[in-house]
Amino acid sequence: MNIGTYARRNLFRRKGRTILTVAAVAVVVLIFCLIQTVDWAFKVGAEESMQDRLATRHKVSITMQLPKRYIEDVRAVPGVTKATWANWFGAKDPKERVPFFAGFAADHESWFDVFDDMVVDPKELADWKATPSGVIIGDLIAKTFDVKVGDKLNITSDIYPGDWDFKVVGIYHPKRRNVDRNSVILRWDYLNNDPRATFGKDQIGWIMSRIQNGGQSAQVSTAIDKVFDEKDDQTITMSERAFNLSFMGAFAAVLGAFKIVSVVILLIMFLIVANTIAMSVRERTHEYGVLKAIGFSPSYVGGFIVGEALLLSIVGGLVGLGLVQLLINVVLGPFIEDNMGFMFIAFRTPTQTMLLALGIVVGLGLLAAIIPARNASRLKVTDALRRVD
Amino acid sequence: MSEADAATDEKSADAKDSPTKDTPYRKPAEMPERIVQIKGVSKVFYRGKEEIRVLEKLDLDVPSGSFEALMGPSGSGKSTLLNLIAGLDRPTSGEVRVAGADLTRMSDGQLAKWRSQNIGFVFQSFNLIPVLTAAQNVELPLLLTGLSGADRKQRVATALRVVGLEDRMEHYPRQLSGGQEQRVAIARAIVNDPKIIVADEPTGDLDRKSADDVLVLLDKLNKELGKTIFMVTHDPAAAEKAKIQRKLDKGALL
Repeated sequence: MNIGTYARRNLFRRKGRTILTVAAVAVVVLIFCLIQTVDWAFKVGAEESMQDRLATRHKVSITMQLPKRYIEDVRAVPGVTKATWANWFGAKDPKERVPFFAGFAADHESWFDVFDDMVVDPKELADWKATPSGVIIGDLIAKTFDVKVGDKLNITSDIYPGDWDFKVVGIYHPKRRNVDRNSVILRWDYLNNDPRATFGKDQIGWIMSRIQNGGQSAQVSTAIDKVFDEKDDQTITMSERAFNLSFMGAFAAVLGAFKIVSVVILLIMFLIVANTIAMSVRERTHEYGVLKAIGFSPSYVGGFIVGEALLLSIVGGLVGLGLVQLLINVVLGPFIEDNMGFMFIAFRTPTQTMLLALGIVVGLGLLAAIIPARNASRLKVTDALRRVD
Repeated sequence: MSEADAATDEKSADAKDSPTKDTPYRKPAEMPERIVQIKGVSKVFYRGKEEIRVLEKLDLDVPSGSFEALMGPSGSGKSTLLNLIAGLDRPTSGEVRVAGADLTRMSDGQLAKWRSQNIGFVFQSFNLIPVLTAAQNVELPLLLTGLSGADRKQRVATALRVVGLEDRMEHYPRQLSGGQEQRVAIARAIVNDPKIIVADEPTGDLDRKSADDVLVLLDKLNKELGKTIFMVTHDPAAAEKAKIQRKLDKGALL
């Protein structure tokens, strides 16, 4: 036996209460990690964006279009090596197999030069260039739609009316983790020539360009925007990371609310652990008197209580991390990545987040023990021995 | 005497009297002549503004190796006196010297250490830790020593053999009878080889048979191992086992 044996045995003296407290701590860890994972997953795609890729859009809003001729002006800006463009198509699956996926019309000549992290077989790319109604789609959505190269694909749009029938001419694969694998890319010229798209004839949604030096992105962005300063449609150019983050503006407020919730949850956990420890100490006041009587110093008595709180927090934290690993990283994460890849390129709880969660609950557990430990260590032996619960 | 002197006093006494692996319990000849010396001790408690004088200028000498019983009506100050001797409380005035140390000058931490080395407690309600086995309960005071696990185990076995419970080592308190629990508590009290055993109503929660067994055991510890025993009791039968019987009333020895 050692000093820890007593703290360990005490932890399970009231099994029901301990199990409930451990469960509460574990659930807090799970919720905390889930919120942190959502936050991380929202940002990871943006954080891992290409440093040398810039996005140019209408200065007022992404929903406003730019004249197609702007592409040549952008290509002419010093430092820009390649540029391409796209329009949002607002694609929807008529069979509703996925709630949302990215569908856009891109320039078939230049898109995959700028997005060389979306790998397409050269023959399939050549077919796309030769097939106006062809689409190249991500490997994950191809699985979801259960289509292969050569198959027909019917989708609808919430911008352009009617059914749109395409031929799948190629499937792209990601070269980097943050490439969305659920996009459907149709040809811009096919959309531009369709009578249903006359309201946006020769208009483009945004321009993506590659620059020679990623470290010069600020200067090149300024140079691009300067070109259009005196035009009717002014632009704003930003890094791909900033461009991706701008789509999250609405989500940022939700994430902010989530973070407040996670702080409240941690506070509740603190109160639960503090209550458990306080109850245990109250029940064992007489026993602490006995320990003091037989020679255990006040610091030992305080140490027993802190040790018990520490053990409780660690056990609860580890059970919580087990739940995180099982429910988020094994079950929920892969499901979300497969089905909501357009929003969450990766959905796994990072190790740092798990360690942070464990650190926080252990820290709060220790904090919860401070006052009961101090009170117990200061208790007079004779008073403690008189106390009978 | 300063606090430092008291500590030094205590250290030298420790070095001289420390039990060894081969002789786990001290011999009576090594004890000081008067193990407890109380001079002019008063103890006052306050209930709100009301002053309650529990002990009044009390003097007491307890010779080493004696077995004393302290009797008296409830509220006479028996437990207060016992607490002063055991270093659980401090007098309002006067001097308490036990086993050569001046307890009035020690800090809480020093007193705790002193108790672990000099005092064995036997409580009325046994006060065993329910989540620990009999052996682990007995081992508790030894965790404060530098003894190795093997040495601790040996001393625990010896203490439980002395009280006749070597076959109950792995039993939890709930698996023992009241008499057995008290014998485990006595084993815990002697495992550190204390200079003095203080017992507060050790038979108060026991039936007659178990009480007699406990008293026989205390008598044996006194006679065979030379332990000084200071016992507070209401039980005349228990008091009869002691060599010296004292009576306390209204804070004064009669």
